[in-house]
Amino acid sequence: MEGEAVIQELIDVLRTLLFPGFLFFVILGLFFEWIDRKFYAKLQNRVGPLYTGPWGLLQPLADFVKLMAKEDIVPEGAIKPIFSSVPVFALALSLFAALFLPVCGPQGIVSFPGDVIVLAVVLTLLVILVFLGGLSPASRYPEVGAERSVLQLLGYEIPLVASILGATAMTVGLGGSLSIEGIVNAQRDWWSILGFQALGFAIFLLAAQAELERVPFDIPEAETEIVAGWTTEYSGKKLALLRLARDVELAFLCGLGATLFLGGPWPGPLVPGLGGAIVSTIIFVIKSIVVLLLLTVIRAAMSRLRIDQMVNFAWKYLVPLSIFQLLLAVVVAPLMIHLLTL
Amino acid sequence: MGLVDWARLRSPWVLHFNTGACNGCDIEVVAALTPRYDVERFGIRLVGSPRHADILIVTGPVTKQVEKRLKRVYEQMPEPKFVMAVGNCCASSGAFRNCYNVYPGLDNVIPVDVYVMGCPPKPEAIINGVVKLLEKLKKLKGGAS
Repeated sequence: MEGEAVIQELIDVLRTLLFPGFLFFVILGLFFEWIDRKFYAKLQNRVGPLYTGPWGLLQPLADFVKLMAKEDIVPEGAIKPIFSSVPVFALALSLFAALFLPVCGPQGIVSFPGDVIVLAVVLTLLVILVFLGGLSPASRYPEVGAERSVLQLLGYEIPLVASILGATAMTVGLGGSLSIEGIVNAQRDWWSILGFQALGFAIFLLAAQAELERVPFDIPEAETEIVAGWTTEYSGKKLALLRLARDVELAFLCGLGATLFLGGPWPGPLVPGLGGAIVSTIIFVIKSIVVLLLLTVIRAAMSRLRIDQMVNFAWKYLVPLSIFQLLLAVVVAPLMIHLLTL
Repeated sequence: MGLVDWARLRSPWVLHFNTGACNGCDIEVVAALTPRYDVERFGIRLVGSPRHADILIVTGPVTKQVEKRLKRVYEQMPEPKFVMAVGNCCASSGAFRNCYNVYPGLDNVIPVDVYVMGCPPKPEAIINGVVKLLEKLKKLKGGAS
């Protein structure tokens, strides 16, 4: 009995470190950055990264290695402990969040009732880290970027959380659940985007774009106005970790979109045994890439908003829409299902 | 060191600094970054912050007024760093030779790795300059600048 428990523990550690865990998501993050850059280039009628590895596949890795080998500067007036720990915490938080995703089965590595709320908290904590990273170097441009990132958070946080919570409405017919596993299993036969969640998916895409600080919401790092925003003072290893954290966050948010609205790994788990895990992983990655391509199209099709335009838009349209969608998903849809089955 | 050299050759990020150019060279530098030439093929990216940059592209005659700022931007860049002088004015003060307020060349202020001549140089010449710089980097090995 003792031996079996040890082996089970070892498998859990390997799962966390290697396959659906850290290593998998680091590689997936770099791969997603490549897809993003390549597809973005395609939309602009160019070819994008080409000579680094086959079709430029290794470009994100080359950027990462180069930055790791560069000089690491800490500005004189910086609050050093905060300045240095922000990149590490950012990467750790994104990887932690990724553990909840159901990559190779209907259940993530970490799964418990209410983990949807934990994910919403982690997404907000990542922005608090941006704020600290912008304030700690005691430099003008990062400070402006930090202020903007928090102001922007006020705009998109409510729609983001509302769209995530709206997705839990799928589980109402099955006794209700606030866990990723419950949401995924509820979509076994019918993906939530096909029903009352289509609006929620659109809101989620916009909010995810803002969370990732990509065009049109790259206001906190607007390079034409405030140098490089909150990342201005970061160089070398710290910048490399920040960029990697951003890539993992990109992979995580695409995966979350696929999980909540596109049915996660279904119908992969129907295949029995080890084949089920492999098929699930492939289906999950393909669905995540679909979400990524949509995000890239938004990035290529739009230009940067001003911070006041963004907050205005968020409070005048996005917040009311998300509340309307939440009502639709939580009240109207179950009522209709109830009436139809009477 | 093999991996680091490999990465450095494939990911040169450039920062563009105007020391008082007539905008001719700046337009050509920006043109070199457009979809027509698509320098992202080689991993070249234009970055906004000197802290992120590997190569400093300087355009225009170096005036006494801009000297302090130029040195400061250069010092803010992390090692290993390289400098490219684009245009006749930057390399040898060009039409402004012997002016009381202009240095005879960029190398009087900061060390320069590559000169690209022309008034203004074509985008092809600027990309060629970056390639020459990478060849120089290849010979250095180990990344000492």
